Amino acid sequence: MNTTEATPETPARGTVNRSARLEALTGLAFILPALIGFVLFYMYPALRGLWISFTDWNMLREPTFVGIENYRQVFQDEKFWNALWITFKYVLLNIPIQTILGILLAVAMDRVVKSTVIRGLMILPYLLSNVLVALVFLWLLDPSLGIVNAGLQALGLPKQDFFASTDQALPTVAFVNIWRHAGFTALLFYAGLQSIPRSVYEAAKIDGASEGQMFWRITLPLLRPVTVFVVVTSIIGSFQIFDTVAVATNGGPADATKVLVYYIYENAFAFFKMGYATAMSMILFAIILIFTVLQLKFFRADQSDLA
Amino acid sequence: MTVQTQPTQARKNRKSMAWEHFLAWFGILLVILLSIFPIWIVLKTALSSSTTLFESGGQLLPSEPTLDNFKRVLGMVTAEEALKAGGSGQSVNFLKSIWNSVIFTGLIVIGQTFFSALAAYAFARLKFPFRDQIFTLFLTAMMIPGIVLFIPNFITIKNLGWLNTMQGLVAPYILMTPFAVFFLRQFFLSIPRETEEAAVLDGASPFMIFWKVVLPMSQGPLATLGILTTIGMWNEFFWPYLIGKDESVYTLPVALQQFQTQTPQGSPDWTGLMSGAFLSIIPVFILLLIMGKRVIESLAFSGGK
Amino acid sequence: MKKFVTLSSILALTSALSTASAATTVDYWLWDSAQLPAYQQCAKDFTKLNPDINIKITQKGWDDYWTGITTGFVAGTAPDVFTNHLSKYPEFAANGQIVDFAPWIKRDSVKTNIYLEGLYSLWGRDGKQYGLPKDWDTVAIIYNKDMLKKAGISEKTLNALKWNPKDGGSFEKVIAQLTLDQNGNNGLSKNFDKTKVKQYGLLNPYDPNPYGQTGWSWLAVSNGFKYNDGLYATKYYYDDPRLAETIQWLTDLSLKKGFLIPYKDIRGLGANSQFVAGKGAMTTDGSWMIKWYIDNAKFDVGFALLPVGPTGKRTSMFNGLADSIWVGSKKKEEAWKWVKYLGSPACENVVGKYGAVFPAVNSGVNLALATHKKNGADVSAFTKTAKAKGSTFLFPITDNASQINSIMTTALENVFLGKTPAAEALKEANQKVNALFK
Repeated sequence: MNTTEATPETPARGTVNRSARLEALTGLAFILPALIGFVLFYMYPALRGLWISFTDWNMLREPTFVGIENYRQVFQDEKFWNALWITFKYVLLNIPIQTILGILLAVAMDRVVKSTVIRGLMILPYLLSNVLVALVFLWLLDPSLGIVNAGLQALGLPKQDFFASTDQALPTVAFVNIWRHAGFTALLFYAGLQSIPRSVYEAAKIDGASEGQMFWRITLPLLRPVTVFVVVTSIIGSFQIFDTVAVATNGGPADATKVLVYYIYENAFAFFKMGYATAMSMILFAIILIFTVLQLKFFRADQSDLA
Repeated sequence: MTVQTQPTQARKNRKSMAWEHFLAWFGILLVILLSIFPIWIVLKTALSSSTTLFESGGQLLPSEPTLDNFKRVLGMVTAEEALKAGGSGQSVNFLKSIWNSVIFTGLIVIGQTFFSALAAYAFARLKFPFRDQIFTLFLTAMMIPGIVLFIPNFITIKNLGWLNTMQGLVAPYILMTPFAVFFLRQFFLSIPRETEEAAVLDGASPFMIFWKVVLPMSQGPLATLGILTTIGMWNEFFWPYLIGKDESVYTLPVALQQFQTQTPQGSPDWTGLMSGAFLSIIPVFILLLIMGKRVIESLAFSGGK
Repeated sequence: MKKFVTLSSILALTSALSTASAATTVDYWLWDSAQLPAYQQCAKDFTKLNPDINIKITQKGWDDYWTGITTGFVAGTAPDVFTNHLSKYPEFAANGQIVDFAPWIKRDSVKTNIYLEGLYSLWGRDGKQYGLPKDWDTVAIIYNKDMLKKAGISEKTLNALKWNPKDGGSFEKVIAQLTLDQNGNNGLSKNFDKTKVKQYGLLNPYDPNPYGQTGWSWLAVSNGFKYNDGLYATKYYYDDPRLAETIQWLTDLSLKKGFLIPYKDIRGLGANSQFVAGKGAMTTDGSWMIKWYIDNAKFDVGFALLPVGPTGKRTSMFNGLADSIWVGSKKKEEAWKWVKYLGSPACENVVGKYGAVFPAVNSGVNLALATHKKNGADVSAFTKTAKAKGSTFLFPITDNASQINSIMTTALENVFLGKTPAAEALKEANQKVNALFK
């Protein structure tokens, strides 16, 4: 991951050492609080997790070291591969739509809507917690008691099973999460749009550019740093989908929505195979890491077109 | 960044602009409808009695509207009545848990935003050894599945003697989240350097530049992050549930847990749950509107946009 | 950091925790909110008798309850006493997390013969005892009185049904008769349109899990099926054709004949929700749900005996809860006092009076029946089944419960959704289940 600045500063010769040292100390002082939080609540548990993944641990007795046995088993575990495949499918269903919708909403909030209340309403879904959203949609989409099917039947359309069908369950979970997060991504993009100087748009307007042209030629290219951020973090989050599945489908019907993190939880808290669950978590971590590195390479993440 | 067009083209564009605006509004209306509809169902459920709820699932309106569930959530009915309505007969100490949620969320939003901004600025602008490696490590922390983290963190909090305390609740979030650091760094990178360089020539210290120049210029992103963190923490269930075993430190989502499924094969207390949920989004929504206004105003002032 | 420390001390002041009292406090967890008031009363009575012991009851819903307990074990913060479940305790016992009561029972000569038959032994293994029974449950038919009246079916008929997996017996006839399509034809009529069912005869909860407690166990066992050879067996018989034909009968009744609500319709909100919404005439459920039905249904709810199967018996699973003590408790003696009290007639009679569940002691059972009678509900269907000789079978307890659960859920869901024939799915699942014990 190359994260160096595009334009390194070269201060005058004589002061190099002292000011460089001062700057280094300042930088370290600046990151110190965050670093403490990071070491204590992320790095230590992660390293401990790495150790646990090489042990057989059921949480109730002391862990025993088993070397790479867990990893060997994961690679032979059909259910793991299946869960990974379902997770991939979910990410593919979820990310493109959510991102595009987020950009469109943000542009609409920025260029068209001027009322704070309407902007607020657009991100209303994000105010409900994951668990609640899943519960509400369980009601809405129930095959026999839900209002959506009541509406479909009133229109003479066939009843849909949504969460209860092996084919529709995963897309439904994806839809529910898009519903909740589109506003969230829109907010991030909206913040990014604010850093684009208005003068650029005005100049284009004078030249008679349409909104569409401005979007493609100005907004999108200048939004790149934010887009990178949104896509990278959404994919990271999307790979870790769990709540909606746990509440609305329990990984079913017939394992149709048994995504990886659900399978990991099942191993940890139902089967008490914490060593195995942690090994799978580490593999998931590696997969997400590889994905993220590739994205950052692809996007040349660090250069803004503005600076 | 100029677009070459002919005058006739401009007229065409004006026509298409009206068309685009119409389309945009149509889309926005659709989005708003889609956003509000499920929230309406939350309210509808909250206004139903438990005996009419199930049969009226397919209707838009509650069949015999009642405010009883809200009363129940706010602890304004006797235990007997609450039990009858499918509740647990326990009063939810709603105001206390709202207060806990406010403290919990408030502390985290202020602490996390400030400390993450400090770190993000250092990563974006200051040179120090292993800067990029440390930042990369921070980034990777986002990718660790939560299940790996929460048991060790729970034990850490226990060893600190902070179970059942507010500091135990906020500890893992108050100093940073990788998301916040990453988000702010991306924004600080896109701030033009000239503004800061002027301050450097005036002999301002890095902290002064950060405090007086960079933060005011980044009010929009900071407010955005603040809103997102507020919402996220307001709804955070699992960690406060683990750490706060005592009712005196229950946050709202933890207090509302008693409306969830109580028995194997049972059902949630739907009407109580949805009333609680509806009440719990009101404060955040109001905050969102206030913050939203502030964001817009601050943007009008900063950077001459 | 200094700032943070002062901040946290201020916080400590604001969230003042007052745990200053000379008495010992015993932490007690349970999951069922409906039972909370009864146990709060028991705690009050207990503290009157033992002024030096306070009981602090925490109720957490089922879904999050076990994560809380398990993390508590790991971190050393679990409650002293907690309500335990048959599908969970073997794992805890095997890992030395819960206290063996046997020596204490001997020491204090606790009477263990006061409980309904079979309950006490459910909580024992190899001479060790991990819980004292506190309640029990059986399964019965729960029906909509108005719908039965409309169909002209008497309660007497309903309580004397016979079932077999070939043609469904009189049980299937009644289910068909109670099924109505949108034109008002019932399931016995030639013109019945199974694609437009308005009211199902039976809303089966299906229970796609290894136990089928409320969904299929009472049918399968009355057909001669048995899960295994008893407590802690290491071999299951899910490949028994008598189970397969039972499961297939249920599946066909829903997907082919349309008398039974399809599984997909109850997967989300449960058969109980469909029942109180008026989507069907009958459902089957456990006695711990009695109060829920009475409180949530707009119509009059009745309770009837399950049908008699090919073996000539009416069968129901007999299951119960007990309280366990965590090994890491610092107050084991006080905790034991509390557990003894919970399992004693004094507390069980209180539980009976509240009527949320049937207590494990006979005197309490009669009090529960009386309470329900006072509220206008005859729930004797549950108690008759419990007391009839040879009518009940116990919850199958073995090791590997949660992995068996995962295997059986997938297999049975595939059958109920009409994707795999029962015989095939169950045979394969049984091989997987038994492989766990090798």
